[in-house]
Amino acid sequence: MARDEKFKQEVLRLAGTEVRTCIQCGTCSASCPTASLMDPSIRRLIKLCLEGKREEALHNETLWLCTSCLLCTVRCPRGIRPKAVVSALKDIAERAGLQSKDASYEQFFLKQIKDFGRIAELSLTAEFLLVFPQGAVQSMQMGLELLPRGKIDLKIEKINGRDEVKRIVEELGKK
Amino acid sequence: MKLAYYPGCVSHSTGKEMDASTRAVCAALGIKLVELEDWNCCGATHVSNELVATGLAARNMAQTDLEIMTSCSICYSNLRAAAQRLEESETLEKVNAVLDRKYSGSKIRHALDVILEALAEDDERIAVPLKGLLVAPYYGCLLTRPTGLYSAEFPSILEKLIKRLKAEPVEFRLKTFCCGGPIFMPQEKAAEDIAFRILSEAKKAGAQVIVTVCPLCHLMLDAKQKVLEQKRGEPIGIPVLYVTQLAGIALGLGPEDLGLEMNCVSPMAMVERVRAKGTMLEQKS
Repeated sequence: MARDEKFKQEVLRLAGTEVRTCIQCGTCSASCPTASLMDPSIRRLIKLCLEGKREEALHNETLWLCTSCLLCTVRCPRGIRPKAVVSALKDIAERAGLQSKDASYEQFFLKQIKDFGRIAELSLTAEFLLVFPQGAVQSMQMGLELLPRGKIDLKIEKINGRDEVKRIVEELGKK
Repeated sequence: MKLAYYPGCVSHSTGKEMDASTRAVCAALGIKLVELEDWNCCGATHVSNELVATGLAARNMAQTDLEIMTSCSICYSNLRAAAQRLEESETLEKVNAVLDRKYSGSKIRHALDVILEALAEDDERIAVPLKGLLVAPYYGCLLTRPTGLYSAEFPSILEKLIKRLKAEPVEFRLKTFCCGGPIFMPQEKAAEDIAFRILSEAKKAGAQVIVTVCPLCHLMLDAKQKVLEQKRGEPIGIPVLYVTQLAGIALGLGPEDLGLEMNCVSPMAMVERVRAKGTMLEQKS
């Protein structure tokens, strides 16, 4: 497949130009708590970006298996932030309008911030379950633990500075 | 001492006991907390655009001139990382262009560090020394990463606080391993595998209680513990306390002050034991 130079440059702009210096040592993959489930591995994902392989880099489960633990980032001997590469790819996927269950969770999350300024866990969960009903069993089990202890809040809090937060999400999100 | 307090979104739902115990412990230690005005979500681990995440953090940090304290490692990590990015003038300019109150620098602290600083060695306010209590210090990820005050590989601040409360830290090798929390909604199986490994390791290490510094770690290890036990057929039965709850017990605060009845794996039997032991020691001396 043709090399997508524009895609590569966009990843470097978002995640840092030092990504170019990757030596493929695999420290990131060796440190990753979900590495055994990833295909491609985080090491390979970085290679795909540098080779401009847009489709392969964007369409995979790897992006959504990243727990944002940042162990790759504190350990990389080249000072690269592999998690920032994952974030850059999610950002690119989001802007391109790519849909998946994992992507929709992040979209609902950001929408709540934009609309209310804060996260209301119950309505976030409910919104997500409408598109991903397979998660209902897990959510019910969790709810049974939390509800009797008064840890599920029904109300949605809205901050006063919603316009400002909306500006942060929309205007900074374009840059 | 007076600090701005950033409770974070979970403090009003799944992390209510984190909020209650933070306020109670700070009051007991003479630390005045002023809640950050009209605070917003930090974006947690779900905002992929770094500039947006930086802007969300900057809006919070611009609300006060005081040092900002939070009990949530996710909020802590996000605010600290943003403060670092905002040292670049280009980022600062872009962010300030959309903010009402402009950002001009901030110092972020975790409640863990504030409590440790406030407590002297052999502090007389420790009414219930946690003698003989074996505590697993669970750091998780974001207290130390990406730019924490403590070593990302071999942190020791939790052990230091545990010892100051007269309890005994146990060594368990997964103390800085991720809990899987950030992906538990869309990637249930992967997250559960990780959380169970941590619980199982803490048990093997002989822990009687696990202490956490993050509400998502707490949710994974406490609220999910019963379900994980059932699924794996392996009993765990270890209470999981926020660091503020553990400190509060040692300071002699009551279960209602610390929200102890909100923990899913009840810590009450353990609390009774350390209290009884503390009284016995007192009578002996």
